[in-house]
Amino acid sequence: MDRLMKVNKSAELAIIDFFRLLLENDRVSGIFTLRKINKDDSVDYCLVTDENRLDEAIPFYPFMPANAGQILSRFSPMNKPVAVVIKPCELRAFIELVKREQGTLDNFLLISYSCAGVFPIIKTGDEPFEKFLPSYWETVKRGGISQGIRQTCKVCEHFLPMNADITISLIGENKLDSECKMFLNTDKAKEFAKDFEGEMLEEDLESPVINSLLTKRKGEKEDLFTELSSKYSGLDGMINIFGRCIGCHGCSRVCPICYCTLCDFESHNYDYSASILEREISQKGALRLPPDTIFFHLGRLIHMSFSCIGCGLCTEVCPANIPVSTLFIKIGEETAKMFDYIPGRNVKEAIPVTVFKEEEFAELGE
Amino acid sequence: MNIVPNRGAKISVKNGFRGTILEFLRNSLEKGCFDGILIPMRVPADDSYAWVLVRDKPFLDNANPIAPIVSVQGAKALTSLTRKGGGNFNVAAIMKPCDIRASIELSKLKQVNLEKITLISYDCPGTLEMSNYIENPEESEKIFGSLLDGDVWDDKFTKPICQICDNFSFPACDLHFALLGTENGSIYLIPGTEKGENILDDLGIEYSEDLSNWEKKVIELIKKKEKQKAEKFELVKPTVEGFDNLLKTFANCIGCHNCQSACPICYCRQCYFDSEVSKPNSDFILLRTSKRGGISFPLDRIMFHTGRMSHMSLSCVSCGVCTDACPVSIPVADIFSYVADKTQRTFEYKAGNSTEEPLPMREYRFDELLEIKELVKDADGQD
Amino acid sequence: MEREFLPKIVSFLCKWCSYTGADLAGINRLQYPTSILPIKVMCSSRVDPVFVIKAYLRGADGVLIGGCHPGDCHYQDGNYHTRRRVAILKRVFELLGLEEGRIRLSWISASEGPKFARVCNEFTEVIKSLGENTTKTTIFL
Repeated sequence: MDRLMKVNKSAELAIIDFFRLLLENDRVSGIFTLRKINKDDSVDYCLVTDENRLDEAIPFYPFMPANAGQILSRFSPMNKPVAVVIKPCELRAFIELVKREQGTLDNFLLISYSCAGVFPIIKTGDEPFEKFLPSYWETVKRGGISQGIRQTCKVCEHFLPMNADITISLIGENKLDSECKMFLNTDKAKEFAKDFEGEMLEEDLESPVINSLLTKRKGEKEDLFTELSSKYSGLDGMINIFGRCIGCHGCSRVCPICYCTLCDFESHNYDYSASILEREISQKGALRLPPDTIFFHLGRLIHMSFSCIGCGLCTEVCPANIPVSTLFIKIGEETAKMFDYIPGRNVKEAIPVTVFKEEEFAELGE
Repeated sequence: MNIVPNRGAKISVKNGFRGTILEFLRNSLEKGCFDGILIPMRVPADDSYAWVLVRDKPFLDNANPIAPIVSVQGAKALTSLTRKGGGNFNVAAIMKPCDIRASIELSKLKQVNLEKITLISYDCPGTLEMSNYIENPEESEKIFGSLLDGDVWDDKFTKPICQICDNFSFPACDLHFALLGTENGSIYLIPGTEKGENILDDLGIEYSEDLSNWEKKVIELIKKKEKQKAEKFELVKPTVEGFDNLLKTFANCIGCHNCQSACPICYCRQCYFDSEVSKPNSDFILLRTSKRGGISFPLDRIMFHTGRMSHMSLSCVSCGVCTDACPVSIPVADIFSYVADKTQRTFEYKAGNSTEEPLPMREYRFDELLEIKELVKDADGQD
Repeated sequence: MEREFLPKIVSFLCKWCSYTGADLAGINRLQYPTSILPIKVMCSSRVDPVFVIKAYLRGADGVLIGGCHPGDCHYQDGNYHTRRRVAILKRVFELLGLEEGRIRLSWISASEGPKFARVCNEFTEVIKSLGENTTKTTIFL
């Protein structure tokens, strides 16, 4: 049984009130959340320090313009307390980054929620997804998979936050519009929430609704992976999928795990002199230029797939509509499984390639 | 322009424009004019094009000199080959005028070595948007095919940036296929440099045909494009003038920097805006936030775009790959083209026009930009 | 007449064990195929999996990584890290339907000249049965 605080307000209002209290009492110096600027009609992540600005906050808006984990790593170490409300996958990304010494957890009050998925990023000229929102929230209450959300979200199994100080329960909550369930998972959370008015209860976050959603999503994933594996097999399959890659490396730039300031594949290691390329061209009769398209993706799979948290941003930014994340999630799951590793599960869990066990993979090396 | 195009060879069209150009390339490869040909080729999945340097003739059968999309800018392909200096291959690069212009800019920026490269261009009918093509390649091929075969190149299906492109013909290339001059099923092949003339001599192609018919058509089309350009710029102007408008235009920008990495001119291995310098620490962010109550992420979007404008707009060739690469479809190319038009005009410079014109930022004159002093005076009210 | 296929096997050999082992094989005049192209590295853990992919994609028929036996690493635990990396690499290749059989990790100590020769012979036979690497003729890499 987990400790939870029930507030008789809609989830969004309750959390904004909570933020207001934190800011007014100077418990935190800033709130990190999604906000909508009406005059621009755009949704951004935003750090708010002025409580009057909290009216613009939309903490649970089903949209992901960037991986917040990546943004948080950019402003840590944080020297003053800041409350952040981010999605489970973003939190996992942040944990992975902390493991890589790209951030620290100190001073962050981590708030997350059971996430029902987000909509694809808005393209100029696209119809806004606002009209789907009422049905989206209805589906959240029922615990179904909403129409129009991203493929990556439809197959996500880790929609319950790990390592959050406070978890807001959204999925399967019938009375989402009138009450908010805040699970206080850590002492830090209880400390921060002590001045906040609410009824203290004991309840489990996991419910039959959540379990059935997990089953549904697992099914979706199965289908998606089967469809994908029919497309790629062997070198030709890789070329089929990545042949249209334009080499912009947008996927690695938005990837929270790919934190290197200068990626190996953009470094001068792989600038070839003309004579090297000419030799290869003479042997093959022809060669694609710029070279190394498959190399880049294969290299990224090996460098980071076991830490892939499946946020799906790589697919979102790909100008050539390559289903990057689907492949990375599939391969990542398998490589992580080799080490019983779940990226972002525990900050103390070491990254697989930084540690070893003496008795493992005995079959290798003979 | 290196040579004023006044004489050209007449070539009869066989198997369409593409077939005719391919036949010429096959011929020149066979006769040893070139060791390799850089040409767009459809990828095995048939959903896009890629640059391929072809050495063996049979591979040319799958090539398409007039690709309907620009997936990767041609100058980028040339950079990857010659960034570390020219090789031993004599390479013919068959590229769109904007690819060629970018290659020339990059050769001035020392990222491309044109010594062994023969630039071959053609009158470009424009290209289609890459995402549309990927969604429906066959339909797009049909659209582009009918566009290319049409008497008047109707640009309503092409990319917005192609609709306003008045540099679609005869860039500073070595050889140029004048497709617009088509008359009685023939096109002109025009040498642009001595190198080009030598190749035609080697191949035994006479080039003494009069080009006035082609010139007339080109000028006609340029006039149309210039009009469309002026109209477009009128539309772009209010979206970028003033800070609020700029904010609104780039409001959806997610800071992926795809536009920069797809841009042929932005050759820096590590962009300033991706470097550690442009990542402020948490104290500084909080300080900035406290001054206005809130701050949006990614930080410094406007700085990125305006910074890029000031860094590279003088060399912008308006090829449009930035718009194609933008995941939120901001019309980056229209905006950059608008800005580039202004900045290049300041120095009477046209990006990629000639290898001889030096980059404006590489030199200065004592008697230029005198009006700047006046501008400063106007703004402050004093000198 | 068609020439017999002689594979190219790029071999990363650790300086302290496998490379010395190869030397010993030479001193002992042990026969092993000329398919092996040795590259000396200070430790098998110097081999970034990316090197292996690079070799594979640029047409190497096989890639051999030779290191000290577990526990014997000159740098204490380098080879344990190598083992994890190769495990990931081979798994990814397997999942993608690429030929993971073209990658091999072998522990060969400085005194195991005969083992080096045996591994080279065996691996060459394996690669011969796999045939030429198709990346040699693939232009859209």
